[in-house]
Amino acid sequence: MKNGILIMFAVLLISVITFATASSQEDVSYIDTSSFGKTVRGMVPFEHDEHNDNAGLEDCNICHHVYEDGIFMEDESSEDQMCSECHDEDSSGDKPPLRTAFHKNCKGCHLESKAGPVMCGSCHEKN
Amino acid sequence: MNTLYQFVAGPLLWIAFALFIGGSLYKVINLILLTQKKEAYLFCFLSWKWSLRSILHWLTPFGPRNMKLHPAMTVVTFIFHICLLLTPVFLLSHLILLEESINISWWALPDQVADIMTLLIIGACIFFLVRRINSPEVRYVTSASDFVLLAIVAAPFVTGFWAYHQWAGYQPAMILHIVTGEIMLVAIPFTRLSHMLFAVFTRAYIGSEFGGVRHAKDW
Repeated sequence: MKNGILIMFAVLLISVITFATASSQEDVSYIDTSSFGKTVRGMVPFEHDEHNDNAGLEDCNICHHVYEDGIFMEDESSEDQMCSECHDEDSSGDKPPLRTAFHKNCKGCHLESKAGPVMCGSCHEKN
Repeated sequence: MNTLYQFVAGPLLWIAFALFIGGSLYKVINLILLTQKKEAYLFCFLSWKWSLRSILHWLTPFGPRNMKLHPAMTVVTFIFHICLLLTPVFLLSHLILLEESINISWWALPDQVADIMTLLIIGACIFFLVRRINSPEVRYVTSASDFVLLAIVAAPFVTGFWAYHQWAGYQPAMILHIVTGEIMLVAIPFTRLSHMLFAVFTRAYIGSEFGGVRHAKDW
């Protein structure tokens, strides 16, 4: 009986550890800035799933959007792509450059929905 | 905080810019019209040559005699004015907001350089404050408004420095930074900060009179 409890406890412990590690690996904890040559401000912490739960976001393409000829494609999404595949660091015209695209995607939505951080240092960690 | 940010960085900012630009235009046009009405004789001897001679002399560190007599003030005031003009206009964070808002941008100072320039401005403000209190000839012509003006100028830089370093109370510091910046912009045409607009006219007036009429130096 005692052994049974011990085994159950061990299994529980191992599964909790496995689950915790697995889920922390699955979640992105910082916004990926590898597309930028050199960053100036600190990294931006971002828990993907937690953010979407809090914000009540279900459609991927609210953030991972696709635009064709300046028109938002309602049935398409781009979560398998890097932002930089469309947004260059110095693109112009209708398509915002990479940095502006990042800022507008986050801050733009936060302003519109009156929720979430909007000031530089509320997202960017201290240098 | 989002609603407050949206208000101070939105409508309030446009009001501040409108008052700054509109007010500046009004003040300069009014100055020219008033001169035409009350001192029209000035236009008889107003000259580009004497105006520029005076302006250039007064733009040269240690050019005028008064600057040689007060070397510390000369060094501090030049550093202060150069940093004061350059830092806000070439600050990366400002340019990012401008680009996101109206899609215009230009070259930016490295953040570390802007940080040092901000410290120089704050240091200069402290120097001006101490000078006002300690120097008898300056204290004699000082009124309360001089301290208010100094505070108006120092506030956006103190709060900006605070916000950039993300010290405790970052968000209120940021709101205060925006509001104090707007107060300073509006104060430029309507207070003695208007020397930013009038300095060239003052020098043109005096320079032309001293150069063309009195045949003397005005520095």
